[in-house]
Amino acid sequence: MTDVPVSRIRNFSIIAHIDHGKSTLADRLLQATGTVEDRKMKQQFLDNMELERERGITIKLQAARMLYKDQAGEEYVLNLIDTPGHVDFSYEVSRSLVACEGALLVVDASQGVEAQTLANVYLALEQNLEIIPVLNKIDLPGAEPERVIQEIEEVVGLDCSQAILASAKEGIGVPDILESIVHLVPPPRDTVKEPLRALIFDSYYDAYRGVIVYFRVMDGRVKKGDRVRLMASGKEYQIDELGVLSPHQIQVDELHAGEVGYFAAAIKAVEDARVGDTITLANSPAPEPLPGYTEAKPMVFCGLFPTDSDQYEDLREALEKLKLSDAALSYEPETSTAMGFGFRCGFLGLLHMEIVQERLEREYDLELITTAPSVIYRVTTTAGEIFEIDNPSQLPPATNREKIEEPYVAVEIITPEDYVGTLMDLCQTRRGIFKDMRYFAQNRTTLVYDLPLAEVVTDFFDQLKSRSRGYASMEYHFIGYREDALVKLDILVNGDQVDSLAMIVHRDKAYSVGRALVEKLKELIPRHQFKIPLQASIGTRIIASEHIPALRKDVLAKCYGGDISRKKKLLQKQAKGKKRMKSIGTVDVPQEAFMAVLRLE
Amino acid sequence: MLLVNGLGVEGVGLTEEMVTSAYVHIPFCRRRCFYCDFPISVLGDRIQGEASGSIVQYIEVLGREIALTKPTAPLETIFFGGGTPSLLAPSQLGLILDALAAQFGIREGAEISLEIDPDTFTLEQVQGYQALGVNRFSLGVQAFQDELLHRAGRSHSREDIFQAVGDLRQGGIVNFSLDLISGLPGQTLTEWEESLKEAIALAPTHISCYDLVLEPVTAFGKQYEAGKHPLPSDEITAQMYRTARDLLTSAGFEHYEISNYAQKGWQCRHNRVYWENRPYWGFGMGAASYVGGRRLTRPRTRREYYDWVEGLSLGTGETEGDVISECDRLLETLMLGLRLSEGLKLANFSPEITQKILTGVQPYIQQGWVIYSPHSTRLQLTDPDGFLFSNTILSDLFNLFS
Repeated sequence: MTDVPVSRIRNFSIIAHIDHGKSTLADRLLQATGTVEDRKMKQQFLDNMELERERGITIKLQAARMLYKDQAGEEYVLNLIDTPGHVDFSYEVSRSLVACEGALLVVDASQGVEAQTLANVYLALEQNLEIIPVLNKIDLPGAEPERVIQEIEEVVGLDCSQAILASAKEGIGVPDILESIVHLVPPPRDTVKEPLRALIFDSYYDAYRGVIVYFRVMDGRVKKGDRVRLMASGKEYQIDELGVLSPHQIQVDELHAGEVGYFAAAIKAVEDARVGDTITLANSPAPEPLPGYTEAKPMVFCGLFPTDSDQYEDLREALEKLKLSDAALSYEPETSTAMGFGFRCGFLGLLHMEIVQERLEREYDLELITTAPSVIYRVTTTAGEIFEIDNPSQLPPATNREKIEEPYVAVEIITPEDYVGTLMDLCQTRRGIFKDMRYFAQNRTTLVYDLPLAEVVTDFFDQLKSRSRGYASMEYHFIGYREDALVKLDILVNGDQVDSLAMIVHRDKAYSVGRALVEKLKELIPRHQFKIPLQASIGTRIIASEHIPALRKDVLAKCYGGDISRKKKLLQKQAKGKKRMKSIGTVDVPQEAFMAVLRLE
Repeated sequence: MLLVNGLGVEGVGLTEEMVTSAYVHIPFCRRRCFYCDFPISVLGDRIQGEASGSIVQYIEVLGREIALTKPTAPLETIFFGGGTPSLLAPSQLGLILDALAAQFGIREGAEISLEIDPDTFTLEQVQGYQALGVNRFSLGVQAFQDELLHRAGRSHSREDIFQAVGDLRQGGIVNFSLDLISGLPGQTLTEWEESLKEAIALAPTHISCYDLVLEPVTAFGKQYEAGKHPLPSDEITAQMYRTARDLLTSAGFEHYEISNYAQKGWQCRHNRVYWENRPYWGFGMGAASYVGGRRLTRPRTRREYYDWVEGLSLGTGETEGDVISECDRLLETLMLGLRLSEGLKLANFSPEITQKILTGVQPYIQQGWVIYSPHSTRLQLTDPDGFLFSNTILSDLFNLFS
């Protein structure tokens, strides 16, 4: 690698909604610059986690260094810093945007701007990034570049006179994009002579080399063998390996201001090298770290329990391993009367939660029961103490409570006009506080609500999608804690209180939630040989009750003409179902019942 | 004899049991009853016997399938099930029996059963079947109330039942069975009792009582929900089961299997083969066979079945079936054997297996649903409670061994 002048470096990222073609465009750029040979190209190079590829979204960011000779024959180094495409990871997005001077805003020419894209564009504008609009998929019959350009201008307020019409799939517009990056995105500031400050924008855990840290040098230079200090964690490491991503790792001896690369330094877990932390030299540190570091805090919690109690240790080991590469994941042991031993886990948001669950089940082959997601409540006792609780069972008795506060988020929804009514209705029923409604472009409306996060984590996104036939998109961010009239709703099965079904709900909704829950449980808990009462209560007051009648028969009439396979399958299914059930007293409760809280309308 | 040990599997018995039974599926029906999800072909109300090209073709293919089968021992039981086998002319049934006789031989005194439906046959037909050696008839009565028959999509009336039994009697047939269904939509306990009493009055040697099972693909399955109006509640259908057991046993019938009753000496020998988990041939569309430790269910539509027989003749396609593992064989033996009131002898299993089974059923022994006699090693479900909760007991045993 030759030394590159700072003036010839361009650092950029791509902002796009899921499915709008970000990964395909990244692939094309890698091909067009000869970074990856055509024959070695596997689709969507940047998304290399199996799960990501299946969902077509990027969860973990990646980076790629490309060499590009522009039309005037000048050589440039382009660093593409990929961003995760989901609001759960908006902090990571903001850190990778800080590492760039420009961004491509990729919008599907037949779809238009989505809420999530908008949120990321705002993040980019805050960092003063040069934004280049790219209208993708213009080759598709439904493409309406004119309308979408108008929409970008009106909604985002971006000048679209230089917008590029492209089709990443067909390779249309790719040369224009490369030229624009070189000529519109400014070079990094030349601060090579200042003390080293490098920004960590991603890291992952490698079983052999420890944590691999992805960073952008903001000031100064860093060499292989340097002893570096991470300014937030205070830890020091010797750099064993330094390199660039092309997109495969290629070792180099030195990187300077403006460059993007990776290093390995026998770091044991990613939480020791968190995204946003500043790297400096241990013997001549910078006086100030780079601004904007925060520790990603879990917002959504749920209990994870192995179906088979023998798998508890396996689950613990799996969580330990995941934690090595996922600093935002938190977990602590939890015991539940209904579910036995498991863990209370904290996540950045719903997608993060889903990803972790899936990885545990898929990569670690665990069968899990997941409790309904919950949030952190802040409880003030009459004695003036303040507790943060993430589990309804930790709530002090009502007589000792002064107040309960819950986290609120600002939700921004973009939807076609037809669904405004039903989505407003959804926000209202979820205790939303209307803030704003804006009509923009053709047939597109923005709705802004303040909502309790607890209402957003329970099925809100699915409801949004189903009520809008998939057209609406949303984004949310935390805005603070607010006091509400919250109560603890208990569920009793056959007289036994079930911890895992307890909920903290708003007083006004307690009755309807309690009723819906016992009715749902009545459907989901199979009949037993005795009658089972189901009750919902607040304190000692029963607010809803139902019962499951006793089982009278459990027999199959006939094996038809010697075809016993179906009867056997039914019995196997019944047997398997029994196995997956958890006993509460003498009642066997299937896993779906614990999930019932999630699916209440 | 099963040689399963406590840890898993130890080799299958070396001597294979002789196959001496055959089930033959005759898929044709006038219409499809609303509860039925069998593999059948609907012919309509007019055409049957030699007038139906479909039947002629089917019998030809069936004959080929039989002829392509490896010959085993002479048959001791043959069961023509359906469908509605009485839509076959005696000559057509004769062709099938000839094919079976040619391939396997039919032992003297073999039980040859034929399912027949009211209003689908004449006295002459009965005499024709009889002349071919059919010696057991099973009449699909289902209910004695026109309203219930109509609601279930049956194509016959109450009057047709008496006509049919009259024809059997006139043909000199003593050994016949009646099928009844409990739990039909709108059926009351009183109506069920009436049906049972009328059936008893007709003096059959055998009665089968089936509790309606809602199959999702059927008209009933799409229309109704189990245990919900207009279907009788589980409380009522469980009571129907108990009533059948009380009335039929007091009338001298022996409750020898979960759904079956017989006068002494008249149990169905063919069906016992299934329950004792012994091997049998199956021929025809949708038919299941259990030969050489392999179970195979033939394709459920005529077209696919014809292609399958074509494959059989060319030596291509899946014609062998699935090998039943030792563990599955154990589970099947329990699942089938416990349907019989006499249950099964645990002496057939290894001591470890026996111990495991006994541990598994212990709570049910306490509860009075299971009886174990240490001397004979016989394990039985009690009648009616053990029978009524047989799936609860069996699913526990399944979990024990999987």
